Amino acid sequence: MSTRWYPIYQRGNPQLRVFLPNFWMKLVRPTEEQPANVVTFAVSTEMTKHDVKNYLEKIYKLPVVDVRTRIALGETKRDQTYGYVTKKDDVKYAYVTMPKTEAFTFPDIFVNKAEKQEKEEKSLDESKAGFRRFLDRNKKRPGTPGWYSI
Amino acid sequence: MSSTLIKCLNIAKTVGRVTFKNFLTASQNQLPSLSPAAVGGLLKCGVHTTAPVRNERLMEFFDDPKHWSENEVKVGRAWKADELRIKSNKELHQLWYILLKERNMLLTMEHECNDKMEIFPNPERIDKVKISMENLETVVRERNKAYHLLETGETGERPQRQVNNAFGLRCTYKSCEHVLPPFMNTKWIKSRNLAYGGRAVHKFLLKYREKLYNAKRKAKNRARNEVMMILRRNPNFDLELLKRKYADVDIDKLRRTDKTRGHFVPKVDA
Repeated sequence: MSTRWYPIYQRGNPQLRVFLPNFWMKLVRPTEEQPANVVTFAVSTEMTKHDVKNYLEKIYKLPVVDVRTRIALGETKRDQTYGYVTKKDDVKYAYVTMPKTEAFTFPDIFVNKAEKQEKEEKSLDESKAGFRRFLDRNKKRPGTPGWYSI
Repeated sequence: MSSTLIKCLNIAKTVGRVTFKNFLTASQNQLPSLSPAAVGGLLKCGVHTTAPVRNERLMEFFDDPKHWSENEVKVGRAWKADELRIKSNKELHQLWYILLKERNMLLTMEHECNDKMEIFPNPERIDKVKISMENLETVVRERNKAYHLLETGETGERPQRQVNNAFGLRCTYKSCEHVLPPFMNTKWIKSRNLAYGGRAVHKFLLKYREKLYNAKRKAKNRARNEVMMILRRNPNFDLELLKRKYADVDIDKLRRTDKTRGHFVPKVDA
């Protein structure tokens, strides 16, 4: 339903169906060591276990054996100067068990970060040096455009 | 360098074992003498490696690997409502799930970047997806409304009405379906707190209304003073424009007041 107004459950068919779900799911790195077939998700707080299962099976075509959920309390922090308390949002975590044949380890996304940064810095240095050369060449004739001489 | 050796090096990086690394660098120096098969054989012999296991369906939660550790990811703009209006229901349905997956992917990447203290490239992508989803939903809602109006004469939207809450303030009450009719549903009657009263609430309302009234009064005075200053500094100001801009101010009356006259002797026609 586009109005996001769900009628109450009534026995019999046709059953209530969700056409445009607006739940979100984040795949997060597990804090504790887990079996290879268990994946951790942070999900919308209003999602139930059945929702998580259906979401993964229908949208991502992922076989799901079991889902366990918990709601983690958001951190509270007292402001140092004024003393008021701020709280972060609560998060629902879903621990999804896949069949034993499936396995997943969280990939390391920033493996090549250093390499790429180095390359970028090198090109930046080159362009800096080029500009410096241009300035040196035009020291005696300021304001000349770049195309003026070879 | 052979592809197997590159793979080995990558694995060595992920594992980060010093001894293993040393061994591999040694093998790199004597590259011509070692065949890929030999390196593969060496790998198998008892060295424990935890190569990341990729699950194709779960990798949909991650960005394209070529965008990993990139500083900038170039993307297009969000879907506009007009573009979505010419799409069929089926196409919109498909697009919704594409957007949903994209949003999940972006949220996952953002979370991971925050965890690793890295910069998430182009965070406006999330906003673009959000705008697209909002537009899509408005289009679907328009169609829903049109269909309901045609078939039933009602909009099909969730019914809502204005009621007073416990503080005596107006708020919208969104109705929902119940199994029992209202007169039988005592639990619902008790739960909805629509009446208000008591000394504290009346005191609050008095002060609240005074606050509202003061805000209104100050706005009115400010507008009047602004008009007076304009007229004093610019005697030949366009009155039509003023009237249009300050609709609530009685400009003809203000022109007759002393304050709108400037500090100069008015010209008297001979």
